[in-house]
Amino acid sequence: METQETKESHTPNKYSKAYDKYYKIILIIPLLLLISSIGYLAYFHSQHGDFIKRDVTLTGGTSITIFVEKQINLDDLNQKLSGQISDFSVKELSDFRTGKQQAIVIDTSIGSTDSPDYIKLKSFLETYLGHSLTPENSSVESTGASLGNSFYNQLRFAIIISFVLMALVVFVIYRSVAPSSIVVLCAFADIIMTLTLVDLMGIRVSSAGIIAFLMLIGYSVDTDILLTTRLLRRHGEINHNIFEAFKTGMTMTLTAIVSVVIALLITRSFSAVLEQIFLILTIGLCFDIFNTWISNASILKWYVERKK
Amino acid sequence: MNWKIWILIIAILASILALFPFNFKTGIEIASVPTNSTAYEAGLRTGDIITAADGKSVSSIDDYSAVINNKFPSDNETKLTITTNHGDVILFTKVPPQVSVKNIEKTRIKTGLDLSGGARALVRAEEKDLSASELNDLISVTSQRLNVYGLKDIQIRPVTDLSGKNFVLIEIAGSTPQELEALIGQQGKFEAKIGNETVFNGGDKDVTYVARTGSQAGIYGCSNNAGTVVCNFQFAISLSEKAAERQAALTQNLGISTNNTLYLDKQIDLYLDGQLLSSLYISRDLRGQKATQISISGSGTGATSDEAYKNAISEMNKLQTILITGSLPYKLKIEKLDTISPLLGKKFIDTILIAGVAAMLAVSIIIFLRYRNIKLSLAVLFTSFSEIIIILGVSALFKQNLDLPSIAGIIATIGTGVDSQIIILDESKTNTDISLKERVKRALHIILGSYLTVLFALLPLIWAGAGLLKGFAITSILGISIGVFISRPAFSEIVKNILKD
Repeated sequence: METQETKESHTPNKYSKAYDKYYKIILIIPLLLLISSIGYLAYFHSQHGDFIKRDVTLTGGTSITIFVEKQINLDDLNQKLSGQISDFSVKELSDFRTGKQQAIVIDTSIGSTDSPDYIKLKSFLETYLGHSLTPENSSVESTGASLGNSFYNQLRFAIIISFVLMALVVFVIYRSVAPSSIVVLCAFADIIMTLTLVDLMGIRVSSAGIIAFLMLIGYSVDTDILLTTRLLRRHGEINHNIFEAFKTGMTMTLTAIVSVVIALLITRSFSAVLEQIFLILTIGLCFDIFNTWISNASILKWYVERKK
Repeated sequence: MNWKIWILIIAILASILALFPFNFKTGIEIASVPTNSTAYEAGLRTGDIITAADGKSVSSIDDYSAVINNKFPSDNETKLTITTNHGDVILFTKVPPQVSVKNIEKTRIKTGLDLSGGARALVRAEEKDLSASELNDLISVTSQRLNVYGLKDIQIRPVTDLSGKNFVLIEIAGSTPQELEALIGQQGKFEAKIGNETVFNGGDKDVTYVARTGSQAGIYGCSNNAGTVVCNFQFAISLSEKAAERQAALTQNLGISTNNTLYLDKQIDLYLDGQLLSSLYISRDLRGQKATQISISGSGTGATSDEAYKNAISEMNKLQTILITGSLPYKLKIEKLDTISPLLGKKFIDTILIAGVAAMLAVSIIIFLRYRNIKLSLAVLFTSFSEIIIILGVSALFKQNLDLPSIAGIIATIGTGVDSQIIILDESKTNTDISLKERVKRALHIILGSYLTVLFALLPLIWAGAGLLKGFAITSILGISIGVFISRPAFSEIVKNILKD
C-alpha cells in the first residue's frame, strides 16, 4: 500500500501542477499579512508606547482573588468599585463542569498591600461581601511597579536572547544562509502575527503570557526544520517531498494544537495564568501551520528549483 | 527485548519509586508546630504521624477535629493524649494544641505555592544593592526571625535576576501568618529610651532572655470600648549587666513624678523602627538601681474579643521575636508579596488531571486517525504517559515545586513530545528504497535539530524574572529531553516490532 501511495504522488496530478504554477504568487498572502501585522504593531506602539498591553504582573499592581460562597453580580461590583478606585478590572473564575462561579478576581494598579489605597479597597470589599478577607478565603498577589517593570524588561530581553539562540542553532544545523534565514524568518512571522492577534483581541499580557511566546519561538521552528531537512537532504520530486513533510508536520502540529486547546478549554475557567499560556500557544501554532506550509514551503521550493 | 526499551522501563520504575512513598500508615501528619508552643514542649514535632487522640483512632483530619472540637475551648486545663508514631504525648491545656495537621502525602509531588497555598515575598534592601555576604547576613537574620516567630516549612534563598539585582526570596508553605509583612519587611530596630538616651536595644547583646510562655507572658485582660475590643499583653525580659548598668545611670538623677508619687518623673519609651510603641512607668524604688527584669507590655485591638485576643497574641509574638533576634542590618523593601489561599489549588488539581488525560487521549486519537493502527496509537499513548511519569518522578526526586507554569510545561509536552515519535513513524514508513537504519538516522537529525532549538529558546527563562517563572522552562526542558533521549529510542524499537508483524 505504501509503494502505491508513493507512485501515485510521483505522477504530477492537477494539484501538483497548480502548485507549480502558483506557489510564488501565493507568497503574496503571507507577505501582506506580515507587512500589515508589522504596520499594526507600529501603530499600536505609537498609541500605547509598547507592543503589548501589560497586566499587573508586568506593570506592578495587586490582584485579589476572593473565593465566594454566594454568587456575586460582576456588573454591580464593577459599578460600586468604580466609585472607590480608578484603575481596575474584575473577572470571575468558575468550575468548568458546572459553570458555577468559584471566585472573583480584581486587578488593580495599587502596588503595595500596606498602602492606604489597598486598605481602603480591602475594607470596601469586606463591607460589600459581608465578611472579612483572610488568607484562607482570598489570595492577594502584589508586585511593586519597579519590580513589575524590571520583570518586563528581563522577559523582553529573554525573548530576544531566546530568538537569537534559536537562530544560531538553525544556522549551525544547515550551515547555509538561505534555508536557515527562511526558517528564522518564518519563526519571526509566527511571533509577529501572534502578537498582532493578541493585541487585536485586547488581551493584557502577563508574565506567563510572555513565557508562552518564548515557547512558541522553540516550537514554531519544529516543522520548519522537518520541512527544510526533508527538502534539502532527500532526492526525488520536490512537490512529493513537500507533501510527505506536510503529512508529518501537520500531524505534529495538530497533536500540539489539540492538546493545548483541550487544556485551554478545561483550565480557562479556573486559572488566568494557564488560560493565557494555552491561548497564546494555540494562536501561535495556528499561524505556524500557515507560515510553514505556505511561506516556508514555497520559498524553499523556489530556492531548491533555482539551485537545480 | 532491546536495551533501549529496558532503559525506558527502568526510568519509569525509578520514577514511580521517586513519586510514591509506599507507606500504608493510617493517621494524619503534623504539618507544623511552633517552637514556642506547649505542643512543642510536650514533644510533638513536624512530620510526626498522629494515629489517635484520647484513645480514639485518627485516620483523617475530620476524626482529629471531632475529638479536638468536642473538648476545646474549655474553662479548665484539660488532659489530652495524642498518640503518634513516636508514642503518647500528654498535654494539659485550655485551648486546642497549636499544631497544624495535614493528610499523609500520597505522593512525593510538591506543588508550588500557587496551588498549595502559602506566602511568597521578594525582598530587597531599600538603599543599596547588597553584596553576596551581606545578602547571607540578611537571610540568616530573616530565617532566625521566622523560626523564632514559630513558622515552619520556610524556604529562604538569595536570587539574582538578569539585571543583576539581588533579592531574598522567602516562601512559606501553608497558611499565611498575620504578621508576615512586619516580620520580613520591618527592620525591627527596637530601642528603649529614657529621654534621648538609649537604655537597651533588641537582640541578644542587651536582652538575654525573653519570656514567651508560662506565667511571665500572656494576655492579662481585654476591655470593650464602644465596639472596639482592646486586649493587653505583657511579657518579661531580662537585660544584660551592661544594659542594667546603663539604666541605673540614666535613672540616677530623675525626680519623683508629681502626678503619681510611686513612679519617677520620666518613663522608659519603647520604640520600634522610630515609632513609639509604649511607655513604661519606672517605679521610684528603681532609681539608680540595676534592674535586670523588665516587663514589656502592649495591646491588640479588634472588632470582637476573639479578634482582639488573636491580634494581641500575634503582636506580642512579633515583639518577642524582634527582641530576641535584634534588628535587621538593612532597611528593607518588599518588592513582591503574594499570599495564596490553599482553597483553589485543592479544587484545581482534579481539573489539571482531567486536562492531562483528555489531552493524551486526544493525541492518541489523532495518531489513530492518521495511521489507522491501534497498536501504534497505544504505543504513542504509552510513550506520552511514560514521559509524564518520568517528568513527575524527576521533579519529585529533586524536590522541584510544581507550580502552574510547570504544569503548563507538562501539558505542552503531551502535544509536542509525540513530535519525535511522529517523525520516526513517518521516516520508517516512507522512502522504503533506503535502509531502515539510514531512515532512522535521518529522523534523528530532524529530532535533534528541533530539540536543540526548543532547548536554547527556553534557557533564558531560567534566569529571567528572579527565577519565578523557571518552573515552566524546567518541566518543558525535562519533557523534551526525556522525549528525545529516553522514550524516543525505546519508541523507535517498539515501532520496529509493531511494523514487523
